[in-house]
Amino acid sequence: MNVHINTPEGTRDRLFSECLERRQVQSALVELFRRRGYTEVITPEVEFYDLFIQSGNPIPQEAMLKIIDRSGKIMVMRPDCTAPIARVAATKLKNLALPQRLYYDQTVFRDRLAHVGGSREIAQCGVEMIGAVGEKADLEMVAMAVDALRSCGLKQFHIELGHAGFYRTLAGRMNMPEEELERLRAAIEGKNFALLNDLLEPYRGEGACAALRRLPYLFGGVEVLDEAQTLAGSCGSLDHLRRLYAELEAARYGNCVRFDLGLVHQLDYYTGLVFRGYAEGAGAPVLSGGRYDGLMEQFGRRAEAIGFAVDVDAVGACLTVETPKLETVIHYGPSLLAKALAVVDSRPAGCCELSPCRTVESTLNLAREKGASRVLVLDNGEERWLTV
Amino acid sequence: MSERLRIALTKGRLQDKSVELFEAAGLDCAPVRNPGRRLIHALPNYPLDVVLAKAPDVITYVEHGVCDLGVVGKDTILEKGGAFYEVLDLGFGRCRFALAVKKDSDFYGTYKTRRIASKYPNVTRAFFEGKGMDVDIIKIEGSVELAPILELADGIVDIVETGATLKENGLEPIEDVARVSARLIVNTASMKLYKTEITDFLSRVERELGGRT
Repeated sequence: MNVHINTPEGTRDRLFSECLERRQVQSALVELFRRRGYTEVITPEVEFYDLFIQSGNPIPQEAMLKIIDRSGKIMVMRPDCTAPIARVAATKLKNLALPQRLYYDQTVFRDRLAHVGGSREIAQCGVEMIGAVGEKADLEMVAMAVDALRSCGLKQFHIELGHAGFYRTLAGRMNMPEEELERLRAAIEGKNFALLNDLLEPYRGEGACAALRRLPYLFGGVEVLDEAQTLAGSCGSLDHLRRLYAELEAARYGNCVRFDLGLVHQLDYYTGLVFRGYAEGAGAPVLSGGRYDGLMEQFGRRAEAIGFAVDVDAVGACLTVETPKLETVIHYGPSLLAKALAVVDSRPAGCCELSPCRTVESTLNLAREKGASRVLVLDNGEERWLTV
Repeated sequence: MSERLRIALTKGRLQDKSVELFEAAGLDCAPVRNPGRRLIHALPNYPLDVVLAKAPDVITYVEHGVCDLGVVGKDTILEKGGAFYEVLDLGFGRCRFALAVKKDSDFYGTYKTRRIASKYPNVTRAFFEGKGMDVDIIKIEGSVELAPILELADGIVDIVETGATLKENGLEPIEDVARVSARLIVNTASMKLYKTEITDFLSRVERELGGRT
């Protein structure tokens, strides 16, 4: 029989430094989440397909890895962590007092076209705060998003805030058919200025036309809120972002926070604040989140929810992690295991290991092969250092 | 801190037109005009590095963020899709995507499933899906006009510039599928991380484009 010795497209073996990167990011995030009062939830890797259709989060059908079980039911490899956690919170946790703070450290699976690069397995670490509404909940989440990326060791990064309500307000002022509004939204999301102008041309002079035309440009520092206000007048979503920013600034998060009022993705899902994290060295957002107050109701419990997920490996790839180098091999004689192990345990991980050889000669050879520079011989109560 | 940006240009005609445009906007593109064997060209008077690539690769490089910007035809964008910002219509490389059929044939007047040959299967599928029409799509790599002549297909979806080739082969365009021209695309993260640099580049190009019309 021919054994496949390669991994399937879109999957990979992670070796050494890639594992260290992933673990470093995961442990930094988990430590932060736990310190802030979040508790862990682990959900199954395989769930019913329907769950993700019901959640209203538009993961395209073709992006889900499907399995048909023996009864003929369609299952998928978990493409997202939020829907399963909403399911848990709406059912098993329904008698716990709100708000509930939950975190996860799991892999999600997304099918992709062949040969475009990128992984079908994505390690995500994220949080959900269920049953808390209002500015303070949003504030806590954004502050934690900043702290999350900082704790991973990123130097150059920022969190960008938007608000689903701002676009909705503007769109509501337009007398535009539904289908055309969707094209408009897509043009804003893709910052397709040319198409946006064409779409708005017939509506020139209508209430929100000028603001919509500028929407894709409304990203950057806090000054974009002023411009938005000039264009669109006062509205709740802008005031919300402004108050949020004032609080963030007072807490010294201001320099890590920016705005993009053109964040208009997944509008059927997000109901308020939306945010993304960008890091220097990553070609796509490394953190993504927002408020989805309608989600829990899909699973039978009315409760607000806000959360975010960090793409662990995307953050890891921005870090420089050193793999430890083997320096010393220890050759130990009879009854000296405890002493040898004590030496190993007292050194930094990975720089010291025991020799399984019987003679000092073979230990020296072994050390040479593995690139270690020294051999420590523990024998007959003496301690000798040999240079390789 | 000013970051050097990297742009991918589609080789060939779009490359020449882009270089013309950038030079008119005040960027010295001499290294791109005399490329030699180098594949990456640093402009001497502006913080921009230029790489040359085939159209679909321009999108790939920009999507992965190894190039911040790209110049690519709307035809390739429609066919390949992807996540990036499509910020400017550069106005050159204009042509149209059209559905062309054999002259005097009644393409829609039948219950038989029509068969379409195209280099752009995704564009073709989207176009007919928009009409709620099921068609058989056959991907052809070379001269698509041959397929209806050989009776392999009932029509083609292809780029039409003058229409001369179609006419000479007894085909006529009956419907526009999309208007095509060169677009400037930007990686989504670069746009946010290097806003100042990218805005400066965009406004130079826009100013030059504005002067043209």
